[in-house]
This record gives sequence, structure tokens and C-alpha cells, in this order.
Amino acid sequence: MAPSTSWADAENDLPSTEVVENSDGTKTVISYKFDDKHRKVKVTQTIKLIKVTENVNPAIAARKKWARFGDEMNNSTVGPDARTTQFGEEVKLLLSTSWKQDAEKEKTEKKKETKEKVQTIKCRTCGGDHFTSKCPFKDTLGVDLKKEAEAKMAEPSSATVAAAAVAAGLGGMGASSYVPPHMRRRLNGEAPLPSETEKEDTTTLRVTNLNSMVDEGMLNTLFSRFGYIHRLTILRNRETRESRGIAFVEMDSISNAKRAIEGVNGRGFMNLIVNVDFAKPRGER
Amino acid sequence: MMRPILLKGHERPLTQVKFNADGDLLFSVSKDQEASVWYSSNGERIGTLNGHKGTIWSIDVDPETDYVTTASADFTGKLWKAQSGECIYTWNFDAPAKRVEFSPDGNKVFFITDEVMGQIGTIKIFDIDHSKNEQSSTPVLEIKNDKGVSERFSVAAWGYGGLTIVAGHANGKLSKWDAKTGAFLGGVKPHDLLVTDIQTSPDKTYFITSSKDKSAKLFDVDKLELLKSYPSDAPLNSACITPVKDYIIVGGGQDARDVTTTSASEGKFEAKIHHKIFEDEIGRVKGHFGPLNYVAVHPRGTAYASGGEDGYIRVHHFAKSYFDFQYDVEKTAQAAEQQALDKKEQEEEEKKEQQAVEA
Repeated sequence: MAPSTSWADAENDLPSTEVVENSDGTKTVISYKFDDKHRKVKVTQTIKLIKVTENVNPAIAARKKWARFGDEMNNSTVGPDARTTQFGEEVKLLLSTSWKQDAEKEKTEKKKETKEKVQTIKCRTCGGDHFTSKCPFKDTLGVDLKKEAEAKMAEPSSATVAAAAVAAGLGGMGASSYVPPHMRRRLNGEAPLPSETEKEDTTTLRVTNLNSMVDEGMLNTLFSRFGYIHRLTILRNRETRESRGIAFVEMDSISNAKRAIEGVNGRGFMNLIVNVDFAKPRGER
Repeated sequence: MMRPILLKGHERPLTQVKFNADGDLLFSVSKDQEASVWYSSNGERIGTLNGHKGTIWSIDVDPETDYVTTASADFTGKLWKAQSGECIYTWNFDAPAKRVEFSPDGNKVFFITDEVMGQIGTIKIFDIDHSKNEQSSTPVLEIKNDKGVSERFSVAAWGYGGLTIVAGHANGKLSKWDAKTGAFLGGVKPHDLLVTDIQTSPDKTYFITSSKDKSAKLFDVDKLELLKSYPSDAPLNSACITPVKDYIIVGGGQDARDVTTTSASEGKFEAKIHHKIFEDEIGRVKGHFGPLNYVAVHPRGTAYASGGEDGYIRVHHFAKSYFDFQYDVEKTAQAAEQQALDKKEQEEEEKKEQQAVEA
């Protein structure tokens, strides 16, 4: 059979489900469905019904069916109501005669960990466990803090060399410590890290097949459900200002962008089925 | 690992939580004038018992789970239908009722009335007529405390067969009374401070007491003989005896009025598990952020519930490790037993073989 072109016809085309009783007590259920690429799929399931009998005290079984009363009379929630019943965090219970020692051991280990964390403070003058400004060798080792700060900004790894570089690179500016943001990375001829520009792109969604009636406000309400929108542009004809049916939406985070794709892609919006995907970097497009 | 179910049905500190005889229901009372009924397996609240006008100090269920009684600070005790939550009778007292418990056969109930405002602390026993709602308002027996307010009754429990009542006093004394005649059958003074709880073993032949003097103690009903004692590091509000495994669960913590001056880690707001025979503390369960006011264990020994000053009930269904734990002595004893059994079997087999050969 040729694949039908009309989705309206295709829906009626599915053969009905068959159920065959096998001799060994199992059932074979044959059903048909369309998969996500609109191909017809035949599903054959073999089912065996097993009856599990559980013996329950009849009194308990009867009490399971009690109607609610008092404050719960008008509560129609099936099962436990989240307002009164919650699940707590897991509790560790390991019974042992030496639990006290075990607990103490754990405590000391934790303390050790926190201590190690505290030691991440490192003096830049002497490498000790205190702030640089409070270094007892501040005067004797004689490192100029101002210079140090400049060096840090330019190149964190090799302080003195970079300090020299700053002096050379910004020679005309004298001792000014300010380095404009766009200069900071390029001091050593480095280009801005490629990952940064890419990162900006990854939260941008490319929306196509938009109805030309859709304006920024409508898109904003559509996507703001999934998170904060940083930027939103609809491509328009330069003269007539008519929408070209393509828009770029920059979301605040990748997870929200992914949710937006899940929520909008392939769904109808203003009579058209909208395609949403991550906008690809310029080179790939 | 256990994942406790948190039941938040009360606005104020819990005063008592109790399982019914089959363990499928959990009853709880608090200072907020309502009693709650829960399914213990999933924590679903079935309903509330509304009608008291003051703190409910105590609750109990009869063995058939037909009736529930409550003892309240509004000078009344009430009898309820467990299934509908309908109040079918109210006893009026001259003082707050502090404790209530059904006799083992469910045909009697005792109330402890407090010794305040010139009243004398009394244990009042009433008959329960299961055929009608209207109950007798005059007690069949009154046990009065004639030793003064410092020795007033704080808690009590029925002994086996409903023959006796053991009572705990405010000064740490324990006393035993004949439940038919009201005769004094003996007393001991094991605690230095208020006895906060008495809970009996499943067969009611022995019981555990907890006290503000930071200890729990195990006694037999017959002779009030001290069997075991479980020292703790904080004032105790409750203690229970677990069936299936030989454990004791005690709960307590820094007094409510001292809580603001201590941090949670110092408050000892943990349920502590002791071994019943060896007395050692073998584990702790954290969770509450206030003192535990009551601990109750499932009659099948599969779970326990604790009601805290923080307004939460925590129901813990025990994990496998709880049932697996054994002392080394127990393990070796078991291994020796197994060895002996194996040996016996082997010998028998040999005998059979010999007989076959002879034949």
C-alpha cells in the first residue's frame, strides 16, 4: 500500500486490534499504530494473566474501605493527601554495638574535610594559610601589592613576566591599572575563547514556519512560559516589514531552551505547525 | 536506610500516637483539640475526631478497633466510633484527664484525672457496654492517691488479663493495684523524677517505664522486679517494647522550655534503640526537630511511629538491616545450634544406612 499523503485519511486506515486465545492459556494481542515518523507499526504482544492471591485479615480489608470523616470528610483525594502526608528524607539506621564510635569517626572525618576546605585560602606572598594582606612577611618579602594585582589581571600563572608584559603593552598609558575588558584577553594576542561565543548561541532557538501574523508580543507570551527571554527577533522584509516566518529566541538557560523545544516544536501555533530547534552557529548554517 | 512517612495533621505538639491491635491504623492526639486517624501503611488520613475543647492528652483503641477513647484537658473523656468518628458518649470529670486505656478485653476503660485545683488524682475505671451508646457515668472503681500532689498519678497501664493496673507517679514511684478491688499490691521507687510513660509487652506480663531522670527501665508485672535498665543522655518522654526483635525504642529530648537555649544536635531529639536483653544502645534515628513526646511500635514489629513536640508524626517502616542485626553471641549460639542439628541428622542417616546394611 502506498503511504497515504493525507493525515486525515491515515488515521482511519489502522486495522482493528485482534486478540487470539492460545492453547497454553496465553493471549496474543495484535494491534497497529503509527510511530513518530508516521510509519505503520504492527505490535504483537503475548500476555499471560497470572492471578496473585494475597491473604489479608478481613478486618483490615474492611477498614481499607472506610469512608472519610471529620476534617477529611470532603477530601476527594485518592490515597494520601500531600497536605497531611509527606515523605521524609531517608534515614540511616545501621544497628551495631559500636554505632557510637562509628558516628564519631564520621564526624571527625567530616571535620577534616571542612578543615581542608578552609585551607584553600593561600597567601600570595608566602603561600601560608592566611589572607595576603595579613601576611606577617609582608614587609620582609617586599612584594608590591599594587603590582601584584595588575599581574593577576593580566596572566594569573606567571606573575612577574606578565607584569612586565603589561608595562610593555600599555606603555603609553603609564602606571594606569585599568585594562579595558576587550583588551584583557588580547594582551598576549589571544582571541576571545571560542567557547564563550558558542555558549551564547546555544541558548538561542531558531523558530521557523511561523505565521506571518505572529508578532513579538505573541512570541513572547508563547516562550516566556518556559523561562526568561533574553532577546527575541523576528526576521522581516526590509521594505514591507512583513514577517518572513523566521524568528530567533534567546532563552536564559539551556535547560529552559530544551524545554521550549519540547513544548513548542511540532505544535500548531496560529494555524501553522512550528519548527523549533537550536540556532546553529553561522558557519554551519 | 528507611524512608519515614511524615504526617502533618496537627498544628500543635503531639501528645500520643497509637497503633490499633492489627497495626493497620494509627491514632494520634495533640494539643490542638483534634484526634487523627491514619492508615499506617501509606500515611493517608482517614479522618479526625472533633469535639474536645482542650488539649487531648491520651487516646486508646479497643482490641476490635470498634471504639476509641480520648482523655482531654477540657475535663472530659470521650468515647468514639472508630469507623465514623462520631462521639457517642462523654464522661465529665472534675479535673483534666491525663491518660486513658482500654482493658485487654475491651470491656473496661480507665482514666487518670489530674491532681490540680484541690482535686485528688484518681484512676477511674468504667465499664464499657458494647450493646448501646449510652455508658455509665459512675465509675465501677476509683483508686485515689492519698499521698499528696508530689506523688500524683502520671501514667498507668493494665497488667495481663486486666487483673491489675500498674501506675507511675510524679516522684518516680511505681505502684500496682488490683483492678477489681482497688487494693494496693505494692510499690517501688526506681526513678528519681516524673514517670512519663508506661507501655506493656504484647502479653502484658512485663512493662517498660520512661522517666525525666534520663532512664528507661523494664519491670515484670507480677513482682514489680527491675529486670533491665536503659540509661540515656536526655530526659525521656516515652519508651516501647518491640515485638519480633528484642529491642526497646525510647524517645525524649531536651524539655520544650529549654529548647530555645540549645541547638538541635544538643537536644538529643532522636529515637534511641536499645537491645532489650543486653541493654546497650545499638542505634539512633534522627528526624524530629523537637523532643519526641511519644513512641509507639506496630504490633507486628514492622514499623514504629513517633510523635514530636514539632507537630510531626514520623512513621518508620523498618528496613531489612533492622531485622538482620544480631549480637556476636547470638550469631555463635545460632551457629552452634545449627551445627548440633547437622550432626544429629548425619548420625541418623548413618544409623539408617547401617540398618539397611544389616537388613
